[in-house]
Amino acid sequence: MSLIRTESVYKSFGELEVLRGITTTVEQGEVVCIIGPSGAGKSTFLRSLNQLEEITSGKIFIDEQLFLHKENGVLVERISASEHKRLLLEMGMVFQSFNLFPHMTVMDNVITAPTRVKKVPRDEAVADAIEILRQVGLEDKHDAYPSKLSGGQMQRVAIARSLAMHPKIMLFDEPTSALDPELVGEVLSVMKKLAESGMTMLVVTHEMGFAREAADRVLFMCDGIIAEESEPNELFSNPKNPRTRQFLNSVL
Amino acid sequence: MAGTTKTKPFFTRRRIVLFSVLLALIVLAVAMIATRPSQDALVGCISEELRESAGAKYSETYLNFGILNVARGRDIRSGSPETYLGAFGQIFDANDGAASAVANISLWMPSLIKGTGITISLTVVSVLVGVVLALFLALGKMSKILPIKWFCSGYIFFFRGTPLLMQLYFVYYGLPLISSALAINNRFMAAFIAFALNSGAYVAELIRAALQSIDKGQYEAAKSLGLSYAQTMGLVIVPQSIRRLIPPVANEFIMVIKDASLVSLIALTDLSRATQTIMNNTFSVLVYVPAIVLYLVITAVFTKIFNKLEQRYSVYQ
Ligand SMILES: Nc1ncnc2c1ncn2[C@@H]1O[C@H](COP(=O)(O)OP(=O)(O)O)[C@@H](O)[C@H]1O
Ligand SMILES: [Mg+2]
Repeated sequence: MSLIRTESVYKSFGELEVLRGITTTVEQGEVVCIIGPSGAGKSTFLRSLNQLEEITSGKIFIDEQLFLHKENGVLVERISASEHKRLLLEMGMVFQSFNLFPHMTVMDNVITAPTRVKKVPRDEAVADAIEILRQVGLEDKHDAYPSKLSGGQMQRVAIARSLAMHPKIMLFDEPTSALDPELVGEVLSVMKKLAESGMTMLVVTHEMGFAREAADRVLFMCDGIIAEESEPNELFSNPKNPRTRQFLNSVL
Repeated sequence: MAGTTKTKPFFTRRRIVLFSVLLALIVLAVAMIATRPSQDALVGCISEELRESAGAKYSETYLNFGILNVARGRDIRSGSPETYLGAFGQIFDANDGAASAVANISLWMPSLIKGTGITISLTVVSVLVGVVLALFLALGKMSKILPIKWFCSGYIFFFRGTPLLMQLYFVYYGLPLISSALAINNRFMAAFIAFALNSGAYVAELIRAALQSIDKGQYEAAKSLGLSYAQTMGLVIVPQSIRRLIPPVANEFIMVIKDASLVSLIALTDLSRATQTIMNNTFSVLVYVPAIVLYLVITAVFTKIFNKLEQRYSVYQ
């Protein structure tokens, strides 16, 4: 069963065409990594999925339901408002710059959405948050404000904050790119654990080691298209597309 | 604020000093009140001559402030006291330099304090109501609904673009001309309405700047978590803006304290007008000394309050 499916997704910012026909599928339980040079449209693709950007053309299916269909900027079909909201909640997003709420403690960061959006009673939300924070290794930081945490800890709080909504799929947009090198590992190991627990993940990353180890499939994006797509071993050791080869040579 | 604050010992050094000063002042006040001269003594202080010329009215001719007592002959020609009593019952001649200054100032104090009350209460209620109004104006100006956006932008443009003095005149003198139903007879009410409407426009721009200074990622994180627009503003954006808003709002506050002197033009007696009235009656420039001190004290107190507020909202920094 596919959790996300896109058909010919196009996105332009004014004259600039950033996505030029993205067709792909993410199956339940699959970990898919997106690699590619800067400016390829990786972030834009991820942000289009959860409606932080509005696509120009194409179809997006979430959980096998047609979520959005547009042609040349014109809306053809959009799922009903209540379903729209529900399906959006099935996607959690982790940003490169964490985007924690600085005026809230770690605990409040994690429980705000469950209590306010899902109306989970506070004590249940807290109990759940305690468990999630333990999973990301931050059981002793409940009352800390984000400013008192390291980058790696902040990103783990951001992951916990998304997980607290119990999404079916987690989207990661370069979650370790803003971190000092020595802090990258702790975030990647949380992500690996999450992958092993069966979470469906779509990860934009520059960490080729992570992609090789954790991904079921790797997409190479370049100039707004998926230029190559295969299993990590295949893609890293035997790239078919010259652009992929060139990119891998530059980063490995 | 859910932060854990460390419990400090109650008797910090600052508090001990503060309490000692307070205690000394109380002891002094008690001593002054205890040695306060009687009314007869006060009346006796006024010269025979004046007492006779003032006739039956002499009972109005002394003032007693409890701590400092002033006996004042009602000599309408000079308007100044001729004799007065010191804090501990001493009798001074009216021409004694420094002591007479103290006596004069203490005579003026009640009307200056009353003026100060008007200045402070007008400023506080106007800016408070202005801030609430401004929040709606700022959100309205950022709204995607065009009529709301236009109305709020127009409002802000109008009230920032015209002098407060004209707005005040319009509210007090202009509205009744349009319709007698719009007449606002209470001067304070009229001043409050004009000042709050004006403050709303200025603070709206401050709020808009503060809201827009919040990182775009905060909106995106809130959206990706499913928070509605109202929840995003109420739980994420506005609370973070408050701290950034405190310094510019404090500034607006201090501006309004001084702008409040405009109300003298609708014959409302704020601190400035009280000062001017005394000046006109006594020709004594001395009145500016307590007036300036009062202005500085108000400003200092409010600056302190706003600093404290800013600290409270900075716990997460
Ligand atoms: N909001 C935007 N407005 C205009 N151009 C944008 C915007 N966001 C991204 N772009 C442009 O789209 C292209 C792809 O950006 P992005 O998706 O961030 O690439 P990547 O994440 O692969 O580095 C870049 O050229 C970028 O400048
Ligand atoms: Mg990017």
